[in-house]
Amino acid sequence: MLKSVGILLVAAVILFIEVPPLLEKKYKKELIVFSILLAFGVGLGIAYSFGKSIPNPIDLLTFIFKPLHDAITR
Amino acid sequence: MLPTVKINSYQFLVLVILFTIGTSILVIPSALAANAKQDAWIAAILGMGIGLLIVWLFTKIGLWFPNLTYIQVNETLFGKWIGNIFSFLFIFMTFLYTAILLYYSGSFLTIHVMPNTPMAATNILLAIILVMAVRLGLETVARSAEIFIVIFFILFFILVVFIAPEVEFKNIQPVLETDINKIFQSSLPLIVLSAMNAISLLMIFPAFINRPRSAKKYFLIGNIIGGLIITIITTLCILVLGSDMTAFQKFPGYELAKKINIGNFVTRIEAMMAALWIICLYFKMVIYFYAAVIGLAQMFQLKDYRPLTYPLGMIVVILSLVIFPNILEQSVYDATIDIYFALTVCLLLPLLMVVVYAIRKKQLKKNSDHA
Repeated sequence: MLKSVGILLVAAVILFIEVPPLLEKKYKKELIVFSILLAFGVGLGIAYSFGKSIPNPIDLLTFIFKPLHDAITR
Repeated sequence: MLPTVKINSYQFLVLVILFTIGTSILVIPSALAANAKQDAWIAAILGMGIGLLIVWLFTKIGLWFPNLTYIQVNETLFGKWIGNIFSFLFIFMTFLYTAILLYYSGSFLTIHVMPNTPMAATNILLAIILVMAVRLGLETVARSAEIFIVIFFILFFILVVFIAPEVEFKNIQPVLETDINKIFQSSLPLIVLSAMNAISLLMIFPAFINRPRSAKKYFLIGNIIGGLIITIITTLCILVLGSDMTAFQKFPGYELAKKINIGNFVTRIEAMMAALWIICLYFKMVIYFYAAVIGLAQMFQLKDYRPLTYPLGMIVVILSLVIFPNILEQSVYDATIDIYFALTVCLLLPLLMVVVYAIRKKQLKKNSDHA
């Protein structure tokens, strides 16, 4: 619980630093990409802090390349 | 569009050297010695030679369009949709490697230096300076690299001189006992780590350098210097620790520093030597992260890349904590899957680019004349 509060605090600090200059310059696209990435990061962080398993890109790569490796080394 | 800073050729050389040495100095000796035994030093030289060829290919690709980064070249050559898919693969790779290097540094520090600290703490600390460096821009990174390369070479010189009395030549005999196929096989991880991953430098190489044509030779020279340093470290590991011990260790370079003993007075200076690896690791990580952030910004055609750094830094930290459940899985990944992945993104795609460029050369020339 404490960890996720910490993550939200960090996210709040990041929002506080980044968003005002973006609004001032009217960078709409930047704001959208930034928000999506931040939401993704916060989501992952909270899931991790509760001990949930997080999709691991290595598993995906293993799934793709393992048959190739087996075929070559056999 | 994005950053307009330019670094000079010497700064680029320094970055290439640090990138080439990167993680290789810490883990490559054991990977080389695993199959090639006492001939690991031959494997290192072989890997260096083949790596040089690949880097030469990268410089060729870079100089087709001296004002564009790799992402933009992708888009010019393959068009918007296919180009973006390839760019996404590239960004995915650099981002994943950032997380893997963060894991490397975290596991190195928690195993050898601070055993009671949770890995999250070291990773967050390193990620903060990582994000800081990328936010400050390429010029700041290049200038700090200029300072750190001096420290690096001093420490490296101390290491080589101090370890020299421990050398035993019977450790590399008999020479060339191993099958040449095995030597080639074991040099593959070195080629992947030092040369193929240098494709990330294509985000810097033509576009952000003030004289790209003269920088081409610095790309190659930097690769040679880095390769030589890895060869020296590997040879020393074999000479001092012996091939079995080198292959057995997770971080043989660190074990090497532990062996230093000058008259029972200068001993156990490995913590100082750890600075060597951290410097290299850090700059390699910065280049990966920089490539990922700039790449993402260019893919979405953003006007500023800085807003992306904090969220991506946050994701990198979490990824580095979950990416490998234990060290065993990491070494299995490094020895098998990583090689295929790197071959796909760093060799197959550039070769495809060469083919497409050869076909579309005239049309592209015409377009640029009109533009």
